[in-house]
Amino acid sequence: MTFAASKGINLFIPKVYDIVWSLIILAIVAVFFYKFFMPKFNAIFDERAEKIEGNIAKAKKAKEDADSAKKKYEDQLNHARVDASKITDNARSEATKIISDAHTRADKEAEQITSNAQRSIASQQQQAMVTLKSEVGTLATALAGKILGSKLQDSDVQSNMLDDMIDDLDKKTDNTK
Amino acid sequence: MIEAVGANMLLASASGADLPGVNDFLPPEILFQGTPFAINRIILIRIVATILLLIILGITAARAKLIPGRWQGLIEYGMDFVRNSVVYETMGELRGKRYVPMITTLFFTIFFFNLFGVIPGANMAATATITMPLVFAIWVLVQYWVAACREKGLWGYIRDECFTPGVPWPVYILLAPIQLLELVIIRPASLTIRLFANMISGHLTVATCLAFAQFWMIESSNKMVGVPVGAAWFLGGIVMTLFEVFVAFLQAYVFSILATVYINLSYPEAE
Repeated sequence: MTFAASKGINLFIPKVYDIVWSLIILAIVAVFFYKFFMPKFNAIFDERAEKIEGNIAKAKKAKEDADSAKKKYEDQLNHARVDASKITDNARSEATKIISDAHTRADKEAEQITSNAQRSIASQQQQAMVTLKSEVGTLATALAGKILGSKLQDSDVQSNMLDDMIDDLDKKTDNTK
Repeated sequence: MIEAVGANMLLASASGADLPGVNDFLPPEILFQGTPFAINRIILIRIVATILLLIILGITAARAKLIPGRWQGLIEYGMDFVRNSVVYETMGELRGKRYVPMITTLFFTIFFFNLFGVIPGANMAATATITMPLVFAIWVLVQYWVAACREKGLWGYIRDECFTPGVPWPVYILLAPIQLLELVIIRPASLTIRLFANMISGHLTVATCLAFAQFWMIESSNKMVGVPVGAAWFLGGIVMTLFEVFVAFLQAYVFSILATVYINLSYPEAE
């Protein structure tokens, strides 16, 4: 028992070579961890974090770009819609104007045509009157000649003939009219 | 039944099961005897463990990729655990950053060294002499004294700890020596002895189970009783081996977290 006890206390007494080796090993292990293991892994961790953050930023930027593009297109679409309705309105008012213009022009032309026709009718009538009058004159002269040639004594006959002739003439002109 | 087993145990030990003892932890020097570089079995295990640790973690670090594989993921999980659950949880990120490499070193080294207690062929933790835990503990001691001197000044630290302001002066008679003892002796001693004793008891438990399993199953003359009892001891050995793996982790964790706490105590209270 005393032997075991005296041995037991030896467990708690560090030996010189044990201290030497323990220190050497601690130094080696510490240098390994401080100079190689930790920096290596920290670099990996940093790189990984950077990459993840970079990807997140990239995704964010892509989303922003897409959003702005979408907004641009929507704006353009809205503009186009407004433009289209404006164009339609313009076209409609233009068309109305054109139609009304055409109407007035047609009316004017019709009026003009009517008045022209009337004028030409009037002038033709006048011309006809002039011609008629001159023909009447000629006819009268011829008639007078005839009358004078066929010894007409009876004034009644003479007047009757004249009246008939004028009636005739009137009828003729009525027919031509 | 238990009594019977107990009696048999005594009998067995009396009649020569090869039980482990204190001598397992005081192996003879086998190389460079008598010099400061003498090597015994435990130190040999420690050297081998160190080389393996450097090779394994060295290769892992050298091959570390941005997208980790399973093994790298496991190592990173361990580093993450130390950084967040041990260091940052205790002292916060601002203070903790400086100590992450130290605590990582302590945790990984102690854990790996402890595991040699259950690795066949070694069967002895590389931390199973008083010196290795003591060296770790002294490193912690130096760190928290250095931190204290930097943050409060040497006298400021001793005043805060031993002559805590706001305490009536007669209490100092009792408080000051106890606190000083705590700062200089008790903290490193508790770190050292907790780890060392755990490794000793772990080895003794597993080795005892296996020694009795060997004795009952093979050396015992009465096989009818011997085989089942020996099998029970063997099962116990397996269970205790698994438990030792857990203890290996647990002690590494406890050592790391206490080291962090002690260092954190050197900083002023107010953040």
